[in-house]
Amino acid sequence: MKTTFRGGAHPKERKDLSENAALLVFDAKGEMVFPLGQHIGKPAKPVVKRGDPVLVGQRIAEADGFVSAHIISSCSGKVKAIEKRRTISGAMLECVVIENDGLYTMAEGIGEKHDISGITKEEILSLVKEAGIVGLGGAGFPTAVKLAPREPDKIKYVIANGVECEPYLTCNDQLMQLKAAEIVEGLEITLKLFPNAVGVIGIERNKPKAIEAMRKACQGKEKISVLDLPTKYPQGGERSLIQVVAGVDFPTSKLPADVGCIVDNVGTLYAIYRAVVYHEPLFSHVMTVSGDAVKNPANLIVRDGTSFREIMEECGGLKEGVTLKKALVGGPMMGLTLSSLDIPIHKTTNGLLLLSQDENEIAEAQMTACLHCGRCTTVCPQGLMPQMMAEAAERGNLERYEKKLYGLECIACGTCTYICPAKRPLTQVFKQVKSEILAARRAAAAGGKK
Amino acid sequence: MSNAVLNISSGPHARDRWTTRFIMLMVAAALLPATIVGIAVNGVHAGLIVLLSVVSAVGTEFVFDTLCHKPKTYLDGSALVTGLLLALSLSPSTPLYAPVIGAIFAILIAKLCFGGLGKNFINPALAGRCFLLISFGKDMTNFEIDGVSTATPIAVLAEGHAVDITKMFLGTGGGVIGASILALLVGGLVLWAMDIIHGQIWISVIVGFTVFMGLFGGQGFDPYFLLAHLCGGGVVMGAFFMATDYTTSPVSRLGQTVYGVMIGVLGALFRIYGSAADSFSYSIIIANLFTPLIETYIVPKPFAYRKAAIAAQNGEEKVPLLKRIPKPVITLAVITLLAGVALSGVYSATKDIIAKQKRAEAAASYKAVLPQAEEFVYSDALDELIADMGGEIYSNGYGKSYIREAVIGTNASGEIVGYVVSVTNGDGYKGDITLSVGISLDDSVSGISFTEISETPGLGMKATEPEFMNQFSGKNVESFVLLKSGAAAENEIDGLSGATFTSRAVVNGVNAGLSFYHNVLKGGTWIE
Repeated sequence: MKTTFRGGAHPKERKDLSENAALLVFDAKGEMVFPLGQHIGKPAKPVVKRGDPVLVGQRIAEADGFVSAHIISSCSGKVKAIEKRRTISGAMLECVVIENDGLYTMAEGIGEKHDISGITKEEILSLVKEAGIVGLGGAGFPTAVKLAPREPDKIKYVIANGVECEPYLTCNDQLMQLKAAEIVEGLEITLKLFPNAVGVIGIERNKPKAIEAMRKACQGKEKISVLDLPTKYPQGGERSLIQVVAGVDFPTSKLPADVGCIVDNVGTLYAIYRAVVYHEPLFSHVMTVSGDAVKNPANLIVRDGTSFREIMEECGGLKEGVTLKKALVGGPMMGLTLSSLDIPIHKTTNGLLLLSQDENEIAEAQMTACLHCGRCTTVCPQGLMPQMMAEAAERGNLERYEKKLYGLECIACGTCTYICPAKRPLTQVFKQVKSEILAARRAAAAGGKK
Repeated sequence: MSNAVLNISSGPHARDRWTTRFIMLMVAAALLPATIVGIAVNGVHAGLIVLLSVVSAVGTEFVFDTLCHKPKTYLDGSALVTGLLLALSLSPSTPLYAPVIGAIFAILIAKLCFGGLGKNFINPALAGRCFLLISFGKDMTNFEIDGVSTATPIAVLAEGHAVDITKMFLGTGGGVIGASILALLVGGLVLWAMDIIHGQIWISVIVGFTVFMGLFGGQGFDPYFLLAHLCGGGVVMGAFFMATDYTTSPVSRLGQTVYGVMIGVLGALFRIYGSAADSFSYSIIIANLFTPLIETYIVPKPFAYRKAAIAAQNGEEKVPLLKRIPKPVITLAVITLLAGVALSGVYSATKDIIAKQKRAEAAASYKAVLPQAEEFVYSDALDELIADMGGEIYSNGYGKSYIREAVIGTNASGEIVGYVVSVTNGDGYKGDITLSVGISLDDSVSGISFTEISETPGLGMKATEPEFMNQFSGKNVESFVLLKSGAAAENEIDGLSGATFTSRAVVNGVNAGLSFYHNVLKGGTWIE
């Protein structure tokens, strides 16, 4: 096995703000809002209507089609409305709004420990699907779909992603320290689906306590090992991880399963464990609240549908005399900016960063012409030529961008923008160009049909 | 909490601390050791050149920004680097107008007129230097140390003379202001360690240069020869500081390697077959011009689309390294290697034979100037003495005269009958003039002949006619004096009309030979 992937950079980690904050459970008090489209694939269809009483763990919307996921209520109360609300992406999306009664009454059949020694593959897959689990690493791909590749026997590695390479984020670090045995059991359950696979748990070396805890939990398990990785962004990217573990690079047109790998975030594995052993669906997850503007940085177990504002207030609100300039969902490298804090979290929300400085604003003031220094090409984990891509995009030469430079292989990890001494917004341009090219393709395909 | 408007932007939201200015200032800092050594060795005048060059470069950009209402880029450090590089690549005896004009040309024409930082197509500092070389050639190639004209080490080396590598390495052996290889290496290697300059470029420049020089330089892989060439003529400054200029070099690693090898090979090619002094500046500029072409066609594929990755995706075994290299490349490399080994082999095998042959040829021409001798004998002590002069200009008052060789003429019974001194004078109108002076034991000149002369036909070439040459024969003088016409005294020589340079070069050369005879050969001080 290689020690690390090619390329990458070392953004300032800033994990010290929250790395020693133990996980706390936070039960929100206000209304809970559940967007129907918070995963990759088709939005779910609501199965409740206005006025219906709901309980914790109750399905409020069901998967629509194969690539989709159920939405589970995280509180008890009454359905207040099913309406369009502002969501993380900034778009108005259909949401189920529940008036939280604050009692958190559990639905029946949840929380009882089941013996899983004789469990079949079909039962595992069905429980994962029922639980509405999606990939908690950020993308939110329905896990039940991921765990059912065409040829399960060809899977060689099930990789538990505990890398957490985004700066600031520490919630998976805490989760691994607290729930090591459960995560390992979640991995063992997953391994039952893939008879020819071994489990590898990847963790960056800046989390020694988590590595130790996971190693302890793996003792005596033949098929599972812990792989400590050098701290380097984006080590936690699915592709970077596969490059290290399986030694394979593969184009974005292929899935990890095509090269014999299944990658699941440690949070997802914990959710699988809860779903299979306790029949508990996914309605809460871990997240980090950090940044220089928040009073008490924390690692929380939060309920889906909670608003960012309530979470911020739970952490003591803003520091005295500090103005909030930027609020990020997720880490600073791939996270999204919030236009307001009155927006609900998703299943996949792993961080809220409250910042008094906007590095993009500072960078814009420092921007110079491109020097051709080539730093972007040395850090690109995909082996692309960001400098040439930006130049081709600037000249409108999309032919070269796509065919010669493989510009659509960009995974938008942001490393090139991060490293650029001329402060050019490279990733930003690539995201834009990609969406333009894909839109043109869709338009051409639609035109062809007519 | 206040409902302040939150900034919305596309990620990433974290940036590295390095800025354009930081990188430029680091490059400038890396040039400091060489600058300090250059000023320390060459004195105040060199300091003034550096100062004027830097001030003119930054000033030009400032004036341009202000007049054209452009963003203020003069403080981004790139003009500073250009000014420094230009100054370091000039002779320490350059007149002070040169760095000013050079820097203005570099910044205004080569950089700003093409769009400024990141847009220029050739290295501005080199553009400035070559502009000066072409426009003010005589002033630029004048290298003086303590008021005495000297040749640069590479010019001396091209003459086939010995040079002092240690002096060149330390920067005390003459040449441009930034001649200290040690100081340049310190700065360059720090930049490399910081990942500011790319190893692909400087390593391939050095390797390309060394290999080509070894193969075709005519002396095989002789370490002394190669080191002398590497230490002189701006190879190190070029490889570390000029070829690595971001804007004018390719971005991809493969492209950088191609570009670097190109510079190394062209530099060696020019140095072997062209004029020695500025081969490297021109080779870098030519490679700069190829950069856009390299960038267009040499684009590495993303990791996932490379051969090894596709094999891995299909679950195949790893492709061995040898199989991943295209066959033509291997074939070419093997042929080059064989050719190199063969050439070096032939060189060392024939070295002595060629030397003997050359001596036999020389003997024939020596016979012409010292007819009473039957045989010409070489003395190791004498050869060593001349080698010890290190190819330096011979004494004062003879222009750029170098003593190349001195042999002893003997009669059939082995008694000494005279000497022949071979002298090269570099002040000819068109180039070097090499001549042999025969001197009898009675101190009289027995004759002169030319072994290398290419002056203007009909004018300077008249020097090779008996009418001119015979003026020296049979004269018994300390030295000759050149007159325009009307030579009467024994030591007076009539110059060639319309060929003052040639006449002076010849007379200086003969006088140098005579002086060497009187001061060294006659006195017998060379005999141990």
